[in-house]
Amino acid sequence: MQGVAVLHEVRDYAIYMLDPQGVVLTWNNGARAIKGYLAEEIVGQSFSRFFTAEDLAAGRPERLLHSAREQGRVEDQAWRLRKDGTRFWADVVITALHENGQVSGFLKVTRDLTERRVAEEMLRQSEERARLLIESVKDYAIFMLDPRGYILSWNAGAQRIKGYAAAEIIGQHFSIFYPLEVRRLEHPDRELRIARETGRYEEEGIRLRKSGERFWANVVITAVYEPSNGELRGFAKVTRDLTERRAAEEAMRLASEAISIERLRADEARNALKARDEFISVAAHELRTPLSALLLKVESARALLAKVPLSGDGAGALSKLSDRLNGALGQIGRLTGLIHRLLDASAIVRNSLALRVDAVSMRDLAQRAVADYQDAAETAGCVLTLKVQSSADGYWDELRLEQVIANLLSNAIKYGAGKPIEVRVEEVADTVRLVVIDHGIGIDASDTDRIFGRFERAVSLENYGGLGLGLYISQSIVDAHGGSIRVSSTPQQGSTFTVELPRSSAPYTSTVESSR
Amino acid sequence: MIQSLCGAFVMVIDDDDDLRETIMEVLQDNAHRVVGACNGQEALDLLHGAKRLPCVILLDLMMPVMNGRQFRVALMNDPELSDIPVVILSAHANIDEVLDDLSVDAKLSKPVEIAPLLALVNQHCSEAEAKEQALTL
Repeated sequence: MQGVAVLHEVRDYAIYMLDPQGVVLTWNNGARAIKGYLAEEIVGQSFSRFFTAEDLAAGRPERLLHSAREQGRVEDQAWRLRKDGTRFWADVVITALHENGQVSGFLKVTRDLTERRVAEEMLRQSEERARLLIESVKDYAIFMLDPRGYILSWNAGAQRIKGYAAAEIIGQHFSIFYPLEVRRLEHPDRELRIARETGRYEEEGIRLRKSGERFWANVVITAVYEPSNGELRGFAKVTRDLTERRAAEEAMRLASEAISIERLRADEARNALKARDEFISVAAHELRTPLSALLLKVESARALLAKVPLSGDGAGALSKLSDRLNGALGQIGRLTGLIHRLLDASAIVRNSLALRVDAVSMRDLAQRAVADYQDAAETAGCVLTLKVQSSADGYWDELRLEQVIANLLSNAIKYGAGKPIEVRVEEVADTVRLVVIDHGIGIDASDTDRIFGRFERAVSLENYGGLGLGLYISQSIVDAHGGSIRVSSTPQQGSTFTVELPRSSAPYTSTVESSR
Repeated sequence: MIQSLCGAFVMVIDDDDDLRETIMEVLQDNAHRVVGACNGQEALDLLHGAKRLPCVILLDLMMPVMNGRQFRVALMNDPELSDIPVVILSAHANIDEVLDDLSVDAKLSKPVEIAPLLALVNQHCSEAEAKEQALTL
């Protein structure tokens, strides 16, 4: 029969006959190609050998034949075995053949769909992966809209950011995410129109969460087209919550504003300080000229008075006049000292404190200073003593160090009235140490650094006057010599100021002078 | 005024009337002849018309019209006047800083005390007199 011969040649389909019990009766080339058996190997065998062990255990061959017998025809898609034991994805149609009203056998047509099956499986897996990926993204809301803007899908990020569960939001229009005032402007529709016309729309703006809370969002809407016909299938919408970024940016902006305000304040403060320094410098400078005239007037008056013989009726008055002039000179001396200190302070600020270094004996210096302050100490009820062993020589600026000792002594008398004051000069290797110890009111630990600052004092101005410059100038002088000054103190028990100077300050002199 | 002077004299240049007059007073008390000028230009004019030159000039720095520095430079550039000793009187805290490289014979910082002022003036006047005597001999 020609028809049978043609079937025999078909290679893409296994076409063969089974008897009513499922025994293979015929075998074509397609069957050989797909299943690997030669006709002589398989004809006469049961078709059940094409089934996997699981299918055999489940009685699949019998079930298929039963169905074909009952319904006339059965289709099946499942894994089958080749002769070599490998599996292939088979698409099977079994048709019952009848003869005299009885089932005389079956026609079986099998296609090998393994390749298609694998391709489909890969596609399915890749789609599954993409879906899982999108669904599991938490940082972005990623969802699909249909062409009219109704929500088709929902991911974890969308749930996290917007607050809706998939079940409650799918099917809703996406304008639900927009504040009312934006919705009124038909803004959501405009976004879709632009995405439709240009393929993409992006913006940053306010969106609503389910709770009604507003958040700052970055939104990208991409039109999605059917690849086969270019028809619009909908829109992919990706939304990012920028609230934190915006908050961080706002915080940055506020911080930088605060910094510039601080800078401005610091500038103002600096300018105010500069203006004050300039004022002090000019004021001190201006005071010197009339002070000169005053000093010369009083000195010359005293000189003239000295030429008048102190005898006769006016002798008592002249003597008093002489005392008064001496008193006036003392006050001029104080005034001069104050002005010098102000000028020193402004010179230190301008970094132009110059030293004139020469050989100096610290012992001699201390002895002179102690002698100078003996009267003042007595008046204040202080016993002022000096402990010194050697001449303690070094190369220093004598006048500047006199200033330092005078400052420490006058402080000791001022704050330690009624108590003994001790001055010590000690030599320690290459260093000469001057120590001034009082037993006065002392200084709080919190003030011991501050007292060396300009216009600083550890005591209330209501009790103790002064410019608050003495220790500042002293420290600057000691610094310029490459030395150090420090204080240790117990409140109500007294203070000990220690000045340490390297014997030679020659290298520091040049530094100080060249620094202007 | 200067023309009438025949002995050694001291020139005081300061724009502050009180101080200038007080210094002149003190010097006069101590038997010096004095001439005052209230700025460098006035002093230069006086010197250019003078028959005799001062034995020393006491010079303030900060003055209107011509300040002490300008006056000192003008003096140095005039061969007739460049030998006159100049003593600076300054109210600056640090005269050296202000003078920089300006050449002067001595400097006194304000407030000026009598003793060093007289010592300097006496020294320069006796030197000038000694020089004069040597010339006339």
